[in-house]
Amino acid sequence: MTGPRLVRPATLDAALAVLAEEPDARCLAGGATLVAMMNAGLAEPGVLVALDGIAELRGITVADDGRVRIGAMTRHRETAADMRLAGGHAVVRQAASVIANAVVRNMGTMGGSIAFFDPAADYPPALVAADAEIELASAAATRRLAAREFFVDWYTTAIEPGEMVTAIHLPPAGTQPSIYRKHARTSGDYAIASLALVLDGAGARVAVGACGPVPLRSDAAEAVLAGRLADHDAVAEAAALLAAAADPVDDVRGSADYRRRLIPRLLQAAISELLDTREAA
Amino acid sequence: MAEFAVVGSSAPRLDGLEKATGRAVYVDDMTRPGLLHGAVLRSAYAHARIVAIDTAAALALPGVHCVLTGEDFPHRYGAFVQDEVALARDRVRYVGEPVAVLAAETPALARQAAALIAVDYEELPAVMTPEEALAPDAPLVHADFAGYARRVAVPLPPNVCAATTISEGDVDAAFAGCDVVVEGTYRTQAQVHCYLEPCGALAEADAAGKVTIWSSCQSVFRVQATVAEILGLPMARIRAVAAKVGGAFGGKSDVTVQPLAAALALRTRRPVRLVLTRDDDFMMMRTRHPATVWMKTGAMADGRLVARAARLTLDGGAYAEDSSAVLGFALLIARGPYRIEHVRMEGRVAYTNRLRAAGFRGYGNPQVTFAGECQIDEIAARLGRDPLDLRLQNAVRAGDDWVGGQRIEACGLVDCLERLRAALPPAAPGRGIGVACVAHISGILSTSAIVRVLEDGTVTLSTGAVDLGEGADTVLAQICAETLGLPLDRINYAVPDTDGSPYNWSTGGSRVTYMVGRAVTAAAGQARDRLFGHAAEMLECAAGDLELRPGGRVGIAGVPGPEITFRDISARAHWAVGGPIIGSASVMFEGGGFDPKRSAVTGNGIGKLGAFVFGAQAAEVEVDAVTGRIAVSRLWAAHDVGRAINPTAVAGQIAGGVAQGLGYALYEDLRFDGPNPANPTLMDYKVPGATEMPEIIPIIVEHPEPSGPFGAKGIGEPPLVPVAPAIANAVAALHGVRLRTLPLTPERVLAALDEA
Repeated sequence: MTGPRLVRPATLDAALAVLAEEPDARCLAGGATLVAMMNAGLAEPGVLVALDGIAELRGITVADDGRVRIGAMTRHRETAADMRLAGGHAVVRQAASVIANAVVRNMGTMGGSIAFFDPAADYPPALVAADAEIELASAAATRRLAAREFFVDWYTTAIEPGEMVTAIHLPPAGTQPSIYRKHARTSGDYAIASLALVLDGAGARVAVGACGPVPLRSDAAEAVLAGRLADHDAVAEAAALLAAAADPVDDVRGSADYRRRLIPRLLQAAISELLDTREAA
Repeated sequence: MAEFAVVGSSAPRLDGLEKATGRAVYVDDMTRPGLLHGAVLRSAYAHARIVAIDTAAALALPGVHCVLTGEDFPHRYGAFVQDEVALARDRVRYVGEPVAVLAAETPALARQAAALIAVDYEELPAVMTPEEALAPDAPLVHADFAGYARRVAVPLPPNVCAATTISEGDVDAAFAGCDVVVEGTYRTQAQVHCYLEPCGALAEADAAGKVTIWSSCQSVFRVQATVAEILGLPMARIRAVAAKVGGAFGGKSDVTVQPLAAALALRTRRPVRLVLTRDDDFMMMRTRHPATVWMKTGAMADGRLVARAARLTLDGGAYAEDSSAVLGFALLIARGPYRIEHVRMEGRVAYTNRLRAAGFRGYGNPQVTFAGECQIDEIAARLGRDPLDLRLQNAVRAGDDWVGGQRIEACGLVDCLERLRAALPPAAPGRGIGVACVAHISGILSTSAIVRVLEDGTVTLSTGAVDLGEGADTVLAQICAETLGLPLDRINYAVPDTDGSPYNWSTGGSRVTYMVGRAVTAAAGQARDRLFGHAAEMLECAAGDLELRPGGRVGIAGVPGPEITFRDISARAHWAVGGPIIGSASVMFEGGGFDPKRSAVTGNGIGKLGAFVFGAQAAEVEVDAVTGRIAVSRLWAAHDVGRAINPTAVAGQIAGGVAQGLGYALYEDLRFDGPNPANPTLMDYKVPGATEMPEIIPIIVEHPEPSGPFGAKGIGEPPLVPVAPAIANAVAALHGVRLRTLPLTPERVLAALDEA
């Protein structure tokens, strides 16, 4: 029995060249998910392309206009500790801070996490609510996709063969607060349900995690919330729209019915908390 | 001044340094020249007939030495029902059951070869719950049950491996006279032992065919006896040695993979190491018995508890193992630590096509105590009484008799409750406090100890007690040191090894401190008497005038002057007079049992159990109104240990028990998706982590047990037991909702809050 061949390119171009040539190559980011899958026999890549030597994939840069670029190889711990991710970007930082446990946060990366895309993971709803764009590169081209387009279905993303996630881009955020609320059985677990909320003008962007194949966002619900965040009836109406649009499953973390019941509660709690924060500020 | 020099001090663990520095040797760290590696093929079916097994492809792989199947293990075994086999033969009875085992040059090769074994199954209908198993015309888990040898040979319905009733007084008449009666059905789940170290063994046969087995186990003597039974060999041909054990909790009480490793070693004549992956361990090994407990408790208007009845159905899984004793103990303890005169406890264990249920820290007690302690609060609520006060009113005291008639010799329960009451904070908004008590036993069966005084006056202590990580080695060495007036560093605690150690039944039943400690006290006392015999001759005085002085010296009581050292005495014994000084002792727990004049008992699977131990806990909880999630902020745990030989070790047992009890109360639940375990990984099956732990406030109560070493008795199991009912009672105190199903998940809490 032979394991996969490990290559450790020093540049992004070299990594992309391997991906172009080797159809059974998989990118090894932090290993938090892929190594566990390999141990369980669920992934058997022929070639592992270790990305930890590629400097251009690492780190967070904040442009003068407030746009943020998070390199795909940025560890959860780095994202969780970067206080420049404030206001409307705080939702991403907060999501990073509650992923699994400290050991996983030391190794796991944003690129690795979203490329695998467990719908119960923490980044997907946070990035969708933050209106993030995902930067994808192949040997042939580079492109950007809205997070909403990137997450396609259970464990399925828009990544094409030969492509990899190279960065996550956040648009400039206002000073209005944002929040990520995760409800899990224990602190180290995947979410039973989660909710990312970003105040936006007089309204809000909302994404629900772990309640369907992709992070749930509802334009109709957000339209109801616009200008009526402090209105309990409006919040209840938006929550009902979200709950109706959800497509949760029964699993060992919770039933579909429970998840549906959680959505309005998480939304109401998150909105009250953010409005309190905004008033205090 | 302290009463004792070594007993009562929090001596550091004897193996603390090697564990903290990563040098402790567990089975997986062990190697031998020419070592082969084992791997197991598991059943993919919950119930199927094995039509054929083709091992040719596996054997054809270069480096594969041997493949064994059920045909290689003809002997059935089982402590109560001889229903079990080391590898499935003809039938598989649960998903994950070992079907074949092999030895190969590397672990990877072994796993690869296991995947090449082709098994032809004919699937059979399965029963996945007791309800299915006990339904009319249900498929039989053991079609040959009638032919099995059984220790408790009462007639049983189909798919039932044990059924017991215990009754005293006149329950029906008593209920009729009660002012308040509460009744309800409580459900508890399959908790997995989740020891840090998965099961493993390394076996090696010598040229004469004697096989040595190093393993992670709770008793080298159970390993020796059961492997001998399974392989059809005399025990004299089996040597079992304890490795360091990374937790067991009852899951390593019976054999695990030792018979497989031993058979492979005998067949290949090479040493074979077989250590389960976490995945294998989850799928093949054991859980706590899931239970459905119907219970009814009655009281008078003045708060006196007078009657309790219970009907218990346990899910025993595919093989009986200890189910008969777990059931018997659960029924014995279900009355709770209260003066309730009229009881009727009935129970049965169903076979199902799930992995085996087994002894697990608490041994049937957590299930019935969850029901029983919830009902005490339900009665308190009906009577408008403070729940702690109601418990105090009814608590058993020293001199009372338990169900069956065994006298409670020492009892700190009232003290535990009083200390708890004194420790609890005043009521605070948004926080609920709940109380629960526990009664358990500490004892069971026999053990022994040998104390040898070496030539230089230091001492080797040999017992058969395997330390599972709780620190029993240190406690036993402390007992030995105290008895001989030696500092702890003069005691060498010998690793349990059936070739050299004296017999011990097992590390289980909260018994090592109490039972093995008694043997150590007696053996060390005998060594001391023999030391005194020499000293009397050397000092020319009567042995009765002698006293031990600190540091291994003997002098004449009341005379400060002349004294001699253990070194002088032992040198004399080894080289001149009398021969080496050895003390030894054997003990058996012989109290208890059922007095037929007071108890009507049928189908009982338990014998004489041990001394009673008591405790009381209080949990302080908050409930998240958004999600229903319970957070336990503080947990006070008052436990009567008779005497704390090592207070830090006692506090450690309390913390560990509370952590495991918290998992049982809130998180842990091995679920099934049809025939398959739905969450057999640590990712999906959640044990509490550091961030889930409440602040634990241990309260050590000491009411010396007359028969215990320095008054000590056990603490291993009790701290787990009251955690779940204390939390459920706290939620009831806070929100007025009664949760009767474990674990108390946020989903269940929210549903209850919404209904209220």
